Amino acid sequence: MFYLSQVEQNLKMPPHLLKPSLLDGELEKGIRGELEKRFLDKVITNLGLCISVYDIQSFEGGFIFPGDDGCATYKVRCRLVMFQPFVGEVIVGKIESCDEFGLQVSLGFFSDIRIPERFMVQPCHRGEDGIWVWQFKVDNEEFQYSLDIDEEIRFRVASVKYPPTPVEQSENSEPFSPMEITGYINGDGLGLVSWW
Amino acid sequence: MIYALISHICYFTFNMGIILRTSELKKYYLVFVREKANAGNLTNFEVFDFLRSRGATSDPMGCIGSVSPSECKVFGYLSGSPAYMQTRESVNEFLRKADNFKFITSFEKLNIVNSTPTVMPALYATIKDCDKRIAKEEEQIAKENQLEEDQLQELLELVKEIFPQPAEEQEELSQ
Repeated sequence: MFYLSQVEQNLKMPPHLLKPSLLDGELEKGIRGELEKRFLDKVITNLGLCISVYDIQSFEGGFIFPGDDGCATYKVRCRLVMFQPFVGEVIVGKIESCDEFGLQVSLGFFSDIRIPERFMVQPCHRGEDGIWVWQFKVDNEEFQYSLDIDEEIRFRVASVKYPPTPVEQSENSEPFSPMEITGYINGDGLGLVSWW
Repeated sequence: MIYALISHICYFTFNMGIILRTSELKKYYLVFVREKANAGNLTNFEVFDFLRSRGATSDPMGCIGSVSPSECKVFGYLSGSPAYMQTRESVNEFLRKADNFKFITSFEKLNIVNSTPTVMPALYATIKDCDKRIAKEEEQIAKENQLEEDQLQELLELVKEIFPQPAEEQEELSQ
């Protein structure tokens, strides 16, 4: 689910952040804060969602270029903890909502996980209250298992997509999600955790 | 200012007849240079341990000051996962012993460590195309990565032994 990504960044440190760090001798702390401001909670295409700054391996420079408002530019080499599940990974999440297209699962810190109808346990149908129900037949007996909201569900990642940023967005459309994960639950051991 | 510099370089090199490679041009446009896109996979436990050492706690109010709210959310999610009870030694021990099972890949090992299956169907879910890879008795073809059902059972026993479930859960199950 998580992996490290090594990046090199030309970081501009504004003077008001530099002054306390330099005096205390804690320049690294100031650089870390600036890195967090830039990367934390942001989705980088094809890399994933940045969870945290793992460590700062080196930084050099500190030159002040003309016309830069007095910002010192450092070349920082650091490692970031990225969240990007690989295809085929098994993850446990909570069902957040369901609509006619399928389920939406959330991990607390990430909610754009969809399980479309074609990837759900077959056969299933949507009940009157909107909840998806799995009809399980064994030896002429039929069991109905419902996929309720707030239940823990185990799914396998089918794909991770990064849709391009829309240039125009109408007012009523859904908020844009930069990273979308599609999962499927039609397999052994997948589906609600309480089923197995 | 950088844009002016680039156009200047283009003009200069064009006059000199040198064609700038596109990769060099791109360096100026990219915000940052990715040295290594993937510098190593992390198990859920390692991220959990890292956040814990930074000062994250399950209590969202306690996190203020040491970690950001989003890191706290990740910590909250990981506290509810099997990573909560794992230790560095147990993860290392599992990875070492799992080396004896030749049929599982490193990604599948990662899957197993993150989800610690306790029943056979859950183990089936973590291994890709499990049912297709089980050796059939009719086929006598010797393949390196063929796995057998009893090997799967051994693997499940190993998981249960190294990553035990908490006592309260087992009591609930027996009731």
